[in-house]
Formats: sequence, structure tokens, C-alpha cells
Amino acid sequence: MDDKVEMPQTELSFWDQHRYLLLIAISIAIAMFLVGVSMALYTNSGAAQLDLSRPGYSAVTSQAVKNDNDFDNYSNSGALDKTSIDEFRTLYDRQATKAKAVDAFKGDPLDPAALELSLPAN
Amino acid sequence: MTILKKSIIAVCAAVVITSTFFNVASAQDTPMTDAQIKQIKGSCVSAKNTMAQLHASDALLRVNRGQIYESMTTKLMSRFNDRATSSHLKTDDLVAVNQNYNATLTLFRSDYQAYEESLSAALKIDCTKEPVTFYDAVADARRKRTQVHVDVIRLHQFIDDYKSTFESFVTDYLGLNGGNG
Repeated sequence: MDDKVEMPQTELSFWDQHRYLLLIAISIAIAMFLVGVSMALYTNSGAAQLDLSRPGYSAVTSQAVKNDNDFDNYSNSGALDKTSIDEFRTLYDRQATKAKAVDAFKGDPLDPAALELSLPAN
Repeated sequence: MTILKKSIIAVCAAVVITSTFFNVASAQDTPMTDAQIKQIKGSCVSAKNTMAQLHASDALLRVNRGQIYESMTTKLMSRFNDRATSSHLKTDDLVAVNQNYNATLTLFRSDYQAYEESLSAALKIDCTKEPVTFYDAVADARRKRTQVHVDVIRLHQFIDDYKSTFESFVTDYLGLNGGNG
């Protein structure tokens, strides 16, 4: 006896036939959109300016201070007595000396004369 | 009629050409001479090398100095203010200096970003083909770098201000508490 059951044949639409391709295309589109958003955030937030792994910075990457952990955070809780005030003064003076040690961005290296972009004065 | 039309077209063409020329040549305050343009074309490759080195060294400076300036407020000023405030002490002056410092730090970040973008834009210009545009872009980056230095000076000033405000606060506080805190 033949138990075969005849399944009704339904006509598949174009998108049913190509649903995996559709899935891949939508996934790629979402990925591209998210990459675009990430790049916009990276560029506009100022993170790009701090990223020394970009091409052109390889010479200075090793000189970047990885962590500034040579002093602990000053505790923001507890009683304020002479000891805690002296502790703050010591930490502050040390860090202030470091901060002011370099007069950063001083000088005028982009002066046209320094770059020899202007004619020498007669 | 035809002659009149031709005259009008010729005048219009002359105006357009002249204005285009002056737009390029008068990008700076005074129009550049041919000798100046020749000088820029001749020196711009070495200038770009110098600028590329400056670009990298300034980025390093921004990262390293930025960390220290950041730690001054997050690890010290804000924390001391919180501690003093939680002890119900009058910290208005300390908070005011800290707020000014934070505002200047924000300005420092945005001014540096503007400077870096300006310098990057200048480095991308083909200076042998567009010497005047290149010269103007360098001038713009130069002006923005000066602004970053102004911010640095102000940050240093606020670091000193906070210290003197802190010492006044301590004098008043210890005076009230008989030197024991």
C-alpha cells in the first residue's frame, strides 16, 4: 500500500526564494550604518585627536603616558582635619608642579618665516 | 543690437574672471605677488614635513598634558570640594575656581580639536598646485594653535588660583577650629 501523501505545491514569491540573500543584505546595511555612526562619534567627539595609534603617530606612540597612577585619588569622604589637609596640599603641589612644568603649545612653529613660506626680508 | 549683446557678455565675462582671480589671490589681506607664490611652491614640501612632525608632537603633548590637567580636577579639586562640602563648610570660592577651571579645560579640548582639524586640512592640500590656499590654511592653523596656548596659560592660572583659595580656606577653617581641624 502506498502511504505517500501528496503535499500541495505552493508558489514561492521572489523574496521567499531569496530570503537568505535578503538577510545578508540587511545585515550588511545595518553594519554599515552602525560603522558610520561610530565613525561620526569618533571624529566629532575629539577621540580621534587622542588616538595615537593612527597612521603618522607611530614615532610618538611609545612616549605617551599610559597611566598617571603615581598618586592616589584624594578621598572625597571623611573628616577634614589637619592631616587630611596636609595630605591634600602635598598631592596638589606635586601635581600642580607637573602640570605647570611644560608651557605647552608655546612658540610659533607655524610662522610663515619659520616654515620659509614668506620671502626673506631685505 | 548684436554688438550691444556681445559687449554685455564681454563685460560680464570680464567681471567673472576678475572676481575669480581676486578671490584666489586676495585670500590673505594683501594679494600675493608672483615671487611669494614661487617661494611657497619652492618651500612647501619641506614645510609640510615640518608640519607633519609638529602634528605628531602636538598630539603627544595634548595626550600627556591633557591627562595631567584632567587629573587636577577629577582627582583633586572636585574631591576636596566634595569632602569640604560634606563637612558643611563654606566652599563657594573653591567651587567657583573649580568651575572656571573645568570650563577652560572644555575650551582647551575644543580649541585643540579645531587646531588639529585645521592642521590636518592644511597637510592635505597640494601646495604646489594651490599655494595660496595652503598658505591661508597654515595661517588658520597658526591662529588656532595660539588659542590653545592661551587656554594652557589660563589653566595654569586657575591651578594657582585654586591653591591660593585653598590656603585662604584652610587659614579660615583652622582658625575657627583652633588649629586642630
